[in-house]
Amino acid sequence: MSADPFVAIWLDTRQDRSPQVVLEANTDHWNRERGPRLEKVVFRNDLTPQEALRLVCESEGEVDIVTEVSPADADRVKSSQYAHLVSTDAMRVLLGIINRDAAPFHDVRARRALNLAVDRRRLISDGLKGYAYPTAGLIPHYCAGYNPDLKPYSPDPQEAKRLLRESGYPEARPLVLASLPGLDGLANLLANDFRDALGVQVQVVVIPESDLLAAQHSFVEKVIPAPFDVLLFAWFDLSSDAPAAFMHSWLYHSMGPFRAGPPVGEFEQLLAQYARQTDQRELNRLDQEMDRLAHEQALSLFLCAPQALYAVNRHVKFVGHAATFEVAETEVDEGHWSRRGG
Amino acid sequence: MAEATIEAPGVPKRKTPVGTIHVVDPHPLNWLHITWNTMEEPVRTDAQGHLIGAAMGESRWVDDRTLQVHMRPGVRFQDGEECTAHSFQRAFEEVQKWRAPHPPGTSLNFQQGTKLELIDDYTLRMHFPEPDGLVLGKFRGFHIPSTRFWNEIGFGYKKRGSGEGHW
Repeated sequence: MSADPFVAIWLDTRQDRSPQVVLEANTDHWNRERGPRLEKVVFRNDLTPQEALRLVCESEGEVDIVTEVSPADADRVKSSQYAHLVSTDAMRVLLGIINRDAAPFHDVRARRALNLAVDRRRLISDGLKGYAYPTAGLIPHYCAGYNPDLKPYSPDPQEAKRLLRESGYPEARPLVLASLPGLDGLANLLANDFRDALGVQVQVVVIPESDLLAAQHSFVEKVIPAPFDVLLFAWFDLSSDAPAAFMHSWLYHSMGPFRAGPPVGEFEQLLAQYARQTDQRELNRLDQEMDRLAHEQALSLFLCAPQALYAVNRHVKFVGHAATFEVAETEVDEGHWSRRGG
Repeated sequence: MAEATIEAPGVPKRKTPVGTIHVVDPHPLNWLHITWNTMEEPVRTDAQGHLIGAAMGESRWVDDRTLQVHMRPGVRFQDGEECTAHSFQRAFEEVQKWRAPHPPGTSLNFQQGTKLELIDDYTLRMHFPEPDGLVLGKFRGFHIPSTRFWNEIGFGYKKRGSGEGHW
């Protein structure tokens, strides 16, 4: 509690985007080989993602690149005469944050049960149309610090059920599976796996977009107990060189905003070593150690690394980046609407 | 696909930008994508996500608490000012004032008590109170703008008068 005389009960931290943001080429940029290769890039914020996808697939001159294309729309882009699909191995993971404060998920057997209940191949093929890789931990196979000795949990419904029973999970207790907005289809696939493998009731709660900020604050502040057993969560990294600095630390460290449960002693020690380590090879060895610990202790429900999908006009040459959205190297050919004149 | 850029006469490797594209980027980090496309940082990431030098040409550990940074000569901001060790110093002083200058957390903060030593216009040393093995990753979020940016615009914390985590 604050000792100050007043408490703010409402604080608006949202800001609407302006209708468009225009970037003009800096022709004095030091990296001549890189670019910029375009004269102008206009970020349009006056379109919904659905409108944008329709325009890039069915027309020219309105929209050239749409980011964050849903796997469900990938075939629509691929069959378009105006656009093509760019898929990029991205520094992104899809996972379930397991609430280790909610009994019996303080018990590694219950957490392993969740991991053994899920058929990742089916989740990827049915829920993400194949545009993802199954993961054993938080580090995708194309990232520094990947531990090749770790294999994704294989579905084993019998063992999952046995472990959950041994952990003392009450028979009538429903499992609360919360989900970020937009992940409800995947949450329902997961719920089916939990019901089938574990024989439990599953309550799926999708956080409305309008409540997301408040839910994030509540979760990060950790004043109120987290109201879920598993939160289906999408996380990312800013680079692929030291993944535990951003991925693992935010999810498991005592100072981690998305930690759901008590700090883990061994993890605290590893991250303390890691933060002081200036040798890149040793840093990546510790990345591997932290991913091993997370996997063995089933600190999360490890699912997959989704690819980033882009719908791109056929006259635009665009290279997706793993850890950002870059346009400096993007270029257009002579057939592009902006170069045809008129 | 045909080459879309044109060699400008008399300037080797300099290509004239051509064309316009319209982008719809509903990603919640769109603000950061635009920042990274328009501002300098000591490092950036390549297509695979690996850190590579940008405004910083190279760096080396002098000892486990001292990182020497060499700024890349010839880097100019859009307003013509050269990006040097002084630009790095100004950016460091601006962000180091605040508890949470990077939304939404503090993992990109430099350690409190970090000192900067300018060696020359392009070289500086960062002296950390404790070894900081994650500093190169933190550089990814360490934006280095021109003097005009700091004086006339600034980041959100200049506008709001707070960098204490109002996200």
